[in-house]
Amino acid sequence: MTLLLDIVTTAAILFIVSAGLLAIFGVLEIVNFAHGAWLTVGAYCAVVTGGLGLNPWLALPLAFVAGAVLGGVTERLIVRPLYARPLDAILATWGLGIVIGQLITLWFGRDVQFTENLLSGTIHVLGISYSLYRIFALAAALVIGLGFAFLLEGTRLGLSARAIIMNEPLARALGLDTTRIRLFTFMIGTGLTALAGVLLTPLTSVDPTMGVSWLIGSFMLVMVAGSSFGALAIACLVFGGAQVLVSTFISPILGGITVAVLSALVLRISSKGFARA
Amino acid sequence: MPDTLAASLPRNAAVRRRVLLLGLLALVALALVIFGPLVLSRFSINVLTRSMIYAILAITVDLLWGFTGILTFGQAAFFGVGAYATAMLLTHIGSSPSLMALALLLAILVPIVLGVIVGWLSFYYGSTPIYATVISLVFPIVVTQLIYSGGTLTGSSSGMVGYFGLPFGLEGFFRLSGISLVIVALGALIFVRSDSGRILTAIRDNETRCAYLGLNTQRIKILLTAVLAGVAGLAGFLYANASGVVAPENTSFVFGTELVVWTALGGRGTILGPVLGTIGIDYLSASLSGELPFLWQLVVGALFVVMIIFLPNGLAALVTRLTRRGRGEVVAGAGPELVPQPPRSHAAPSDAPLLSIDKLEKSYGSQKVLTDITLDVAPGELVSLVGPNGAGKTTMMRCLTDGKESSGGVVRIAGKSIAGMVPNQIVALGVGRKFQVASVFESLTVAECLRMSRAALEAPSIVTASDRLSLPPAAIEILQLTGLDKLLTAEVSLLSHGQKQSLELAMVVALEPRMILLDEPTAGLTKAERTTIGTILKKLTNELGFAAILVEHDLDFVRDISSRIVVLHQGRLVLDGSVEEVVNSDIVKTIYSGGDHV
Amino acid sequence: MSDTPQSETKLALEGVTSGYGPVAIIKALSLSVRKGEIFALMGKNGMGKTTLLKTILGLVPARSGDIRLDGRSIVGAAPKVLIQSGVGYAPQEQPLFTDLSIRDNLRLAVRSDRELEAALEHVFVHFPFLRDRLTQKAGTLSGGEQKMLILSRALMLKPDLLLIDEISEGLQPTVIARIATALRAERNDRGTTILLVEQNLNFALDVADRWAVLKLGEIDDSGTAELGSRDRILDHLKI
Repeated sequence: MTLLLDIVTTAAILFIVSAGLLAIFGVLEIVNFAHGAWLTVGAYCAVVTGGLGLNPWLALPLAFVAGAVLGGVTERLIVRPLYARPLDAILATWGLGIVIGQLITLWFGRDVQFTENLLSGTIHVLGISYSLYRIFALAAALVIGLGFAFLLEGTRLGLSARAIIMNEPLARALGLDTTRIRLFTFMIGTGLTALAGVLLTPLTSVDPTMGVSWLIGSFMLVMVAGSSFGALAIACLVFGGAQVLVSTFISPILGGITVAVLSALVLRISSKGFARA
Repeated sequence: MPDTLAASLPRNAAVRRRVLLLGLLALVALALVIFGPLVLSRFSINVLTRSMIYAILAITVDLLWGFTGILTFGQAAFFGVGAYATAMLLTHIGSSPSLMALALLLAILVPIVLGVIVGWLSFYYGSTPIYATVISLVFPIVVTQLIYSGGTLTGSSSGMVGYFGLPFGLEGFFRLSGISLVIVALGALIFVRSDSGRILTAIRDNETRCAYLGLNTQRIKILLTAVLAGVAGLAGFLYANASGVVAPENTSFVFGTELVVWTALGGRGTILGPVLGTIGIDYLSASLSGELPFLWQLVVGALFVVMIIFLPNGLAALVTRLTRRGRGEVVAGAGPELVPQPPRSHAAPSDAPLLSIDKLEKSYGSQKVLTDITLDVAPGELVSLVGPNGAGKTTMMRCLTDGKESSGGVVRIAGKSIAGMVPNQIVALGVGRKFQVASVFESLTVAECLRMSRAALEAPSIVTASDRLSLPPAAIEILQLTGLDKLLTAEVSLLSHGQKQSLELAMVVALEPRMILLDEPTAGLTKAERTTIGTILKKLTNELGFAAILVEHDLDFVRDISSRIVVLHQGRLVLDGSVEEVVNSDIVKTIYSGGDHV
Repeated sequence: MSDTPQSETKLALEGVTSGYGPVAIIKALSLSVRKGEIFALMGKNGMGKTTLLKTILGLVPARSGDIRLDGRSIVGAAPKVLIQSGVGYAPQEQPLFTDLSIRDNLRLAVRSDRELEAALEHVFVHFPFLRDRLTQKAGTLSGGEQKMLILSRALMLKPDLLLIDEISEGLQPTVIARIATALRAERNDRGTTILLVEQNLNFALDVADRWAVLKLGEIDDSGTAELGSRDRILDHLKI
């Protein structure tokens, strides 16, 4: 039973961490390799909130705004000139990640920071006692997933974004402001990633390089998912499940590479990954 | 550079001068690394030894990414495997001279084997560049995790230390690393300018065209990955010996990204740029790490971002651009000597028609683009394929050159079904394809482009750039008719649109195909250029017995040169006859005045 | 066009050159379309008809020359600005979001959802069948219905100038007749100026007031639509 909960909540955490990257890749076809840096920025928003003695939950909106603003500047200055050179965009955003990481180090030092727990304790679910926070993460993943579903299916911005994914020349010919839609999408993606960084704080230690370890996993999941949030959810469940199983029954270290290896194999077999599902 | 000096010097002298220059450079570099330890501080010797080993890695990254266009973060892993193979052998078995030789061998061989596997995973027909990058990320992560989980065998997270390496002192390792770097750099410099080395740039510029010149680009890229994995492994061997310690960080993708950063800052696509970039940045990093470690990283990161956006080819490109300015770019009259090549004899012509299409079908989902196309083409025929937009002409051309395209029916070339074949295999059967938009290699010279056409037929040298260019007489004639023979050393990006179209045609003819497929060869050409192309096509078919299939909209052109016209309409073949028959037929009038199904 | 302007000029091109990369597809082309006129631009494939429409709309940049809409130069204006100032466009290649519903396809043509209902009512007048099928995916429509949807979308904002690219391609005569009716009604009721790119001679001569034939990016021949021009144009078009 614990195993089942582990699988579901691990998938939920992977989903939370990858969703922002997917939003950007899906619409802009750009891999934001500074993704890890945004997770870190979000986590440090939690540190700042704690330092100021504020309610730890305030870190969530703060991180979203900080992430989005930073994302807006990044899109305008770094990503926009590189839409035609996707491999260079990977490199430039990776470089940006270095810069952000070093700025954080200069400001906060390289030591591990501690944050106030958002939720602590355990809860009784399905007859066992389980970490309350991990259950909360599951709820958060559902909220984020449904939020995106609503944004994409229910709003004009979402409709425009989908139009750009499907057929960008036509979107432009219909007079859609593709420049602005890309900017907003990038901002939403980075804002969400910073928010995910706050949500990670109870699960991982906070230091300037914390984001990098999450980057590759999310990157692989997004490659497999293409531009579909549904496919991302499936990928998180399948690969997250495999990760939990490998970690539990074989070795936690090998569990750490399960997602990456399985994603690479799936992509080798079908270059569209789960996007067709 | 022979290309630019050739203007004023006879070719041989230019080559001699280049060899002299390279030799001089190598001597100076050797002198530096041999006498360097006499003047350098202990700290500098230590750091520079490491920097020079990293520079060897940067060269491998540059060959893959800068020259061939494969963005890789995986070279660190091959390096780490080489280093670990050495350290593990020396730790667990011992360090006699013969074991040391074995360690060197393993440090090179194991990465090569892994390189073949990584290459096979990364490059297959239809694989995307980003997929190769993905694999290059996963590979180091896997290696690193395996090392972490290796227990005492690999030293896990604390790495391996305390084994006995080569019995050299600090200076000895400095010199060994330096000499190795000079040898690798010299080898790379010679290779990239050789006829084989230009294939890498051709793949980066236009991989599709490479495939349609009969080159198996997947195999070339796998081979390159494997060889460079071996070089990285050698660097790992040096590192394990010189530093006396190996750690999991040496294999990590983060180190892999650092290599890419150094290569980018030094200048991708040049060999010396990444070498100088790596040594400079790594040395500065070590020197400054005491005082302002994070600020320095910050500066490097910021510089890297700015560089990628504004100067993607690095500082070295800026230097090249400045020195090139003012020099006449289009150099006339120089370059390799054109040598007519006796025609290649194709397999004895069978009784089967050259091209036979039987009930060809193509559909995308439920939408049928081609239905029931049956057609034979004999040598010497020039068949024009006409029909309104969306009739399926280009789709049909694609089905003839890619065996994975059609959804039904059989296409045979000289009696052989092409089902399942990839383009380079079909080219080997004697099919040449000219694309609608001139598909050439922008950063190669005219002569180098033409040499690519021959690369699949006769393996080019990996050391020299030949001063002779053997081409079939028909290709030479095209060059002469269009004046391209005077522009052999010109870079293709400087040619006019019409010249590129002619060059592509010459490249296709240089393949010595039996059949040429041409998609709107006259689009965007001037009247004079059209006439020239028409003359060439007529000669190829009438006199030399090529078969040609042509998609074309220009009626006058089609009337002038075709021996036969085939009309497609809504994916079906509606008419097949002589020029007279088709031009005067009622069906054609109906189709073109907007009639529906015929 | 040497005809003396009988009425105001809606759209004027003067010496326009444009194309992709190094290739000039449209070469120093001049053309003027009068207000309230239906003008048919004919020509074979690859002669630059689609590129011309895209150049007018700013999707392909004009390298030289001037394009004027109602007397004001529109060179360099973004497609978005032109569409908001009354230009409607019905493209030919991949003209629909096939995986989106008909409603969403039409919704993308208006700037805010508040305008949607009124605009829908406007196009239902011409093509009432769309009303009951708004939730259906555009890709599931028949070829003729798709073309009518494309035209409807171009009509959503009640444009003063309609640019239409080969709307009759591959259609049954009955469907072509419905489209012709809609175009005539738009022009007669609202005075819409229409620039048609066509290969279907019968349809073009049926609805247009004037025509021109484009060859290799230049105007090869032009005239007013009358019975006698049929064979003259056909000479330019066949094969």
